[in-house]
Amino acid sequence: MANQRVLVIGGGLAGLAAAMKLAELGTPVDLMSLTPVKRSHSVCAQGGINSCNDQTRQLGDSEWKHLDDTVYGGDFLQHQPPVKEMAYAAPKIIDLMDRLGVTFNRTQEGFLDHRRFGGTLYKRTAFAGATTGQQLLYALDEQVRRYEADGLINKYEYWDFLSPIRDDAGVCRGAVAQNLMTMEIRSFAADVVIVASGGPGLVYGRSTMSMVCTGSAVSRCFQQGAKYGNGEFIQVHPTAIPGADKLRLMSESARGEGGRVWVPRKPNDSRAPQDIPTAERYYFLEERYPEYGNLVPRDIATREIFDICVNDGLSVEADRQCVYLDLTHIPRAELDRKLGGILEIYEKFQGVDPRDFPMKIFPAVHYSMGGLWVDYQKSAEGGLEAGSPRNQSTGIPGLYAIGECDYQYHGGNRLGANSLLSCIFSGLFVAPCVQSAMEAQQGSAADQPASLYENARQDKQSEHDALLNQAAGGENPYLLHQELGALMTRAATVVRRNDQLTEAYEKLGELAERSRNCSLSDSGAWTNQNVVFTKALKDMFPIAKSIVRGALNRDECRGAHYKPEFAFSGLESEEPAERHHQAEAWCDRFEKNTEKWLKSSVASWDGENPQIAYEEVDTSLIPPRPRLYGLVGGEVIEQVWAERMARRHGESGNGAPQESSQAAPSTT
Amino acid sequence: MSDHAANGHSDSFEVRILRQDAPGESSYWERHRVEHEPDMNVISVMQRVAARAQSADGKPVAPVAWDCNCLEEVCGACTMVINGQARQACTALVDKLLDEQPAEIELQPMQKFPVLRDLVVDRSRLFRALTRVKGWVPVDGSYDLGPGPRQSRTEQEVAYPLSQCMSCGCCLDACPQYTKIELTPGVDESAADFAARQEQTHDSAFLGAHAISQTVLFNSHPTGKVNAGERLDVLMDEGGLQICGNAQNCVAVCPKEIPLTTSIARAGRATTFRLLERWFEK
Amino acid sequence: MGSTESSTFLERNEFLIRRLHSLAGLIPVGAYMCIHLLTNASVLDSPGRFQTAVYQIHSLGAALPVVEWGFIFLPLLFHGILGVVIIRGGLPNSGAYRYTSNIRYSLQRGSGMVAMVFILWHVFHMHGWFHTAWWLENVAHPFFGAQFSPFNAASSAGAALGSSLVAILYAIGMLSCVFHLANGIWTMGITWGVWISPAAQKRASFVCSVFGVGLAVVGMSALWGMKTVDQEAARQVEHKMLEAKLASGEITEEEAEEKSAPHAAEAETGAAQAESESDTHTGG
Repeated sequence: MANQRVLVIGGGLAGLAAAMKLAELGTPVDLMSLTPVKRSHSVCAQGGINSCNDQTRQLGDSEWKHLDDTVYGGDFLQHQPPVKEMAYAAPKIIDLMDRLGVTFNRTQEGFLDHRRFGGTLYKRTAFAGATTGQQLLYALDEQVRRYEADGLINKYEYWDFLSPIRDDAGVCRGAVAQNLMTMEIRSFAADVVIVASGGPGLVYGRSTMSMVCTGSAVSRCFQQGAKYGNGEFIQVHPTAIPGADKLRLMSESARGEGGRVWVPRKPNDSRAPQDIPTAERYYFLEERYPEYGNLVPRDIATREIFDICVNDGLSVEADRQCVYLDLTHIPRAELDRKLGGILEIYEKFQGVDPRDFPMKIFPAVHYSMGGLWVDYQKSAEGGLEAGSPRNQSTGIPGLYAIGECDYQYHGGNRLGANSLLSCIFSGLFVAPCVQSAMEAQQGSAADQPASLYENARQDKQSEHDALLNQAAGGENPYLLHQELGALMTRAATVVRRNDQLTEAYEKLGELAERSRNCSLSDSGAWTNQNVVFTKALKDMFPIAKSIVRGALNRDECRGAHYKPEFAFSGLESEEPAERHHQAEAWCDRFEKNTEKWLKSSVASWDGENPQIAYEEVDTSLIPPRPRLYGLVGGEVIEQVWAERMARRHGESGNGAPQESSQAAPSTT
Repeated sequence: MSDHAANGHSDSFEVRILRQDAPGESSYWERHRVEHEPDMNVISVMQRVAARAQSADGKPVAPVAWDCNCLEEVCGACTMVINGQARQACTALVDKLLDEQPAEIELQPMQKFPVLRDLVVDRSRLFRALTRVKGWVPVDGSYDLGPGPRQSRTEQEVAYPLSQCMSCGCCLDACPQYTKIELTPGVDESAADFAARQEQTHDSAFLGAHAISQTVLFNSHPTGKVNAGERLDVLMDEGGLQICGNAQNCVAVCPKEIPLTTSIARAGRATTFRLLERWFEK
Repeated sequence: MGSTESSTFLERNEFLIRRLHSLAGLIPVGAYMCIHLLTNASVLDSPGRFQTAVYQIHSLGAALPVVEWGFIFLPLLFHGILGVVIIRGGLPNSGAYRYTSNIRYSLQRGSGMVAMVFILWHVFHMHGWFHTAWWLENVAHPFFGAQFSPFNAASSAGAALGSSLVAILYAIGMLSCVFHLANGIWTMGITWGVWISPAAQKRASFVCSVFGVGLAVVGMSALWGMKTVDQEAARQVEHKMLEAKLASGEITEEEAEEKSAPHAAEAETGAAQAESESDTHTGG
């Protein structure tokens, strides 16, 4: 035990939380990151972090309700025990981050201030200005620096994880990595490797994700035998600022404060927006959804904006898809007071004042609910068994995954302000689990033959050398990446069609083939970003293929995955009896679909393609129910569904789900 | 709105980049021609330069290396000297730069840090300074021990801007008192020995505005205060606060508009009292 | 943490030394300069008034050199020499970063260097640095130093400033000193944590500017007053005052001879150039 070490890949919220907790428990940690950990993608999170709190509790909120909102928001696709554990840990995590010095906004009396986010009725979200992710990350970075000063944590910044090292028995014994500056490739012995490498945004070319979010670390584990779960579930944010380099988030609050979304009725209207008379403007959200107007739910807004540009050809710009998000009708003083911060972001990056000119926005890939498949051990209370080596394990002994790169917490769609929570939670929670795994391990990494590490290193070294020396194949990795991004964005984001997905899957095969013929424009032996990028690009294909294959297989609509062909429409009849009848039929169909598709897709890599299997979802705490937000006739369906459930529980004589949902809060 | 975007100015523009192939090698200028696109920033210029891998005269060249990550000005990675001033490449908009200096855009690596390659520099000294000042809240541990100390809204409003520091290093690059330290590894020196020697050298060199400001941040935190004296002692040690020459470039170039000179003055006051305390109370 | 065993005394005590440097700039150096310029400006009232002030200073007698060295020259040397060390530690960049405070940073260093060179010369020129016979005979006088004669204060100063070049150099040097002090007080207020917020620093900057301009006016007036003093009339006044002092026994003959200009005792007129006759003044 004494000389056992853990290697953490990734220094975002999850990786830092894990490193901090492990060091606190006395385990030495090597912390590896593509970038100085303080620059990790977690800094981009703006909104906040959710937990049930003293105020919401008095309004009827509970950890149980947080669990319920999370699984309902995720369309019941996540195993419920981990989510329960997370929801119940949330208040303690907020307390911890508060103690670590996070500059959360305060109430007049000095308590933490909270705001309300989508998908809940309670003001659960604690926040620090518009940079909550940054503030949380810094607090953990500081603690990690403290342990680093004490010698318990070693940082390896600017190192690229190339592969886990598995011994003959398949146990993960460390990793091979490459220094991005000196290009040195070396092996790191470790008794446990924890991957906390974040999402795969770059698979989509431009997204709201940072440039290190290539998904390569996950892909390298996937190619070494780890499984990839729910890949097809990719969250798209409706409003982002399209930039030549990346898509930057424009907070939903712009619409909340009265922003109006429109396009010119005439395709490719070249007039300046302010010169287009109202009659010639198409306020499509307001026209199509008179009740909700511009404040339709996120997924609907996303689909409509996408539809108006792609299918109706009404994009504001001819060569780039975008619509207007207009705030110019609101007085400047009011805008400054309510939206100052986010408007400054737009101004800073676009050089245009959104108080004078409508903003141009378009949906953007934002978060991957899918990720490395991980295990868990359910406790008697329906949560997780603390300290069990199964929790967060990828199934490869000694290889764990946490944070955005695990598939476990968000199901089919993620609620706003839950991602920061899941990252910190999984990071803290995994530490004792990893410790038990190490205690149970047969032989430590230090006892492994040197040849294991040397061979692994040499494999990667020869791959690297071969790539550097390969004959010019004529493919430019950067342009190939653009093609990949365009393809993925077209086929596998907001609206998915089987014909497009089939075509995209074939095209992915071709692109993957072409990526083997990349011509490197840099043969330098120092900070060769060209070769590093080319490697990452090649490793994007297994992930991209898993996303597309998963989406192609899944013939239904669930969470962020939307196939119009399989969408459940609302009730058509106005006549009450018929309406009731239709609602019954709707519920029948829903149950059938649940039976067939309430399963996680679990991909494994066969060397060329992902093979997709399906896994039952543990919905033992909260039974699945229809998500009806905004659906015509939703209230009738809800009523029919409630009757049906009551009847069923009556038949079975105990009504377990109902009971558990009421009993649970009292157990806290 | 920029005139360039509106008028559709010339189709392409020139970028002059100060390159260096490896640490310690000599640097050289290279010209690149980049097609103009709407809403371009220096990051997208660098992406085009990397994809094209050709200098302005059509000669094939290795892509220019540079550092970046979030592209939203919250990670601090993409600092470089653009048209003579240290700033973030992500918020440096091409149209504005061309308004300032129409002929070309000039890119150089940060001047106070050793160049690793092209525009990539080694900023480990900057992070080391955060360790020197014990930039953390010394909590008992991460177990559930209830909420943190209650803090007034005013305290939060003072602390929040300071905690937005993203370690980009603009304040250091623009500081006339922060001078470059570049060591070269000895012939027989191991990487670990070299790193240790580097750390030791950094530990007696100027901390810089960012670290002084972090000291003030942690010294004002109800729990962080516990170490206030130790942190002030670091500010009063070699390479501490005394090196500041009040040129105040730090606050002028800080992309997050952190009140660095206010922090410096607050640290000045605190160290004054610390000096008296050391003389008369101990 | 920064102090390793190998670091020198200066490095280990860098903070304290810098604070002393900062303090020395104000007290006694800056304060002395204010008194010095105000005293000198009294020549505008009359040479006699100025002479009275000088007598007051010289009433310290044997303690004067101790005071001069202990409270003026040594602090000044400390401030100046350390200033050079500090300047060598920085790299002014006001060309690239043209912010007001950065330009002031560069000017502070520039004015400091000018001030140091000027003060070294000025003290040599007027005072001579040392008053031993050998020094005066072999160094000070041959190199046009020690031109000021305390008991012929106004007239000898006026004579020493006779050349326009000298007067212009004095103006430049004196204005550098004034800027250096006024701006130095402003930065000192930040260094010691007196003015903290940008608004307070701005107010302090205004006050320091007013102070600087005021002191510059005083200094320029003093210089103007010295340069344009009627040397002959002054010498007569000074002679009378000296006679009175001698008569009352406040001053000994010996002291009178040492601290008087060569021709003063004769009380004669004539626009004799002090420089050309300085070597006769070696009695001591």
